[in-house]
Amino acid sequence: MQAKSVYKVPNGKLLKISLHYDEIKHVVTDIQITGDFFAYPEEAIELIEDAVRQTTLTKDHLLQTIERVINEHHIEFIGVDAEGLTEGIMRCVT
Amino acid sequence: MTEQWRLLKTGDHTAAMNMAIDRAILVANSEGEVPPTVRFYGWQPPAISIGYFQSLTEEVDLDHCQKYGVEYVRRITGGGAVFHEKELTYSIVIPESHPQIPKNIMESYGRICGALVKGLSHLEIASTYMPINDIVSGGKKISGNAQTRKAKTVLQHGTIILDVDVDKMFSLLRVPNEKIKDKMIADVKQRVTSLRHLLGSEPPFEKTAQAMKRGFEEEFSIKLVEGSLLQEEISLAKKFEKDCFSAREWNHRR
Repeated sequence: MQAKSVYKVPNGKLLKISLHYDEIKHVVTDIQITGDFFAYPEEAIELIEDAVRQTTLTKDHLLQTIERVINEHHIEFIGVDAEGLTEGIMRCVT
Repeated sequence: MTEQWRLLKTGDHTAAMNMAIDRAILVANSEGEVPPTVRFYGWQPPAISIGYFQSLTEEVDLDHCQKYGVEYVRRITGGGAVFHEKELTYSIVIPESHPQIPKNIMESYGRICGALVKGLSHLEIASTYMPINDIVSGGKKISGNAQTRKAKTVLQHGTIILDVDVDKMFSLLRVPNEKIKDKMIADVKQRVTSLRHLLGSEPPFEKTAQAMKRGFEEEFSIKLVEGSLLQEEISLAKKFEKDCFSAREWNHRR
């Protein structure tokens, strides 16, 4: 399945997510995170996309995965955060 | 003695060259080859720049760009899509460790935007920094800004809007839903202003640049001394222009 979401993060920026997922296994198969937010370093967005691939499509799993990558790589987001990214992904499926 | 930074007035360039020059200055500064640098520039032909994380085809109507001779380029900074036509564009490149630059990214936006607010005051315009990355006057946006940090060096670039044609802008930018396009245009007309609107006529680029120069000097207690790009910066810019900012792989990567 393929789905998209457009989500204005509260007090933040406009997040646009394109998601591919396996409906039966309920797992993310591919994701592209786009929008007018900021991330330092910028290349870190690809680390987050890589980590989210193969993650179970539930709010808890996604949040945990994204927070782990942010902490491991000392990523600083402005205009979006782990909760916002998770919400944007979940809006693709609900 | 007052610290001296370099001032560059590089005139108008293509979108790819403008972004290449900013990146070349960042590299040269990170290698200690050049002092902190403030650059003023313009765009010829007019162009749309998109933020690092944006999808080119989702944000930009490429057919309309071609039809109207408008270029497009992906920036190395985050943030949103900008139509660069009648504006003064600035960039500042400075080591992260410089005592005038706050370590905290949001605070550093505030500081650099503070220079622009001071600059606008010299054009008799009252404005304030509006986090995350705007400057507003009378509640409307007059400047948008975007910062990256690479190789322990800060690059922030942004616009001072001299004049804006919102209808033209929206013929080039794509909106998620054509049905709400008219409303979006009306909204942007409500939210964005320009020096022409605030002053009654469009001020000359040079006058605006002079005001901004004073703003930077006052905010950072420095003197801006006009200089030029080093030969190695020019070479590096040409390389970035060709290999990165003109390349389909870069501009279409998202």
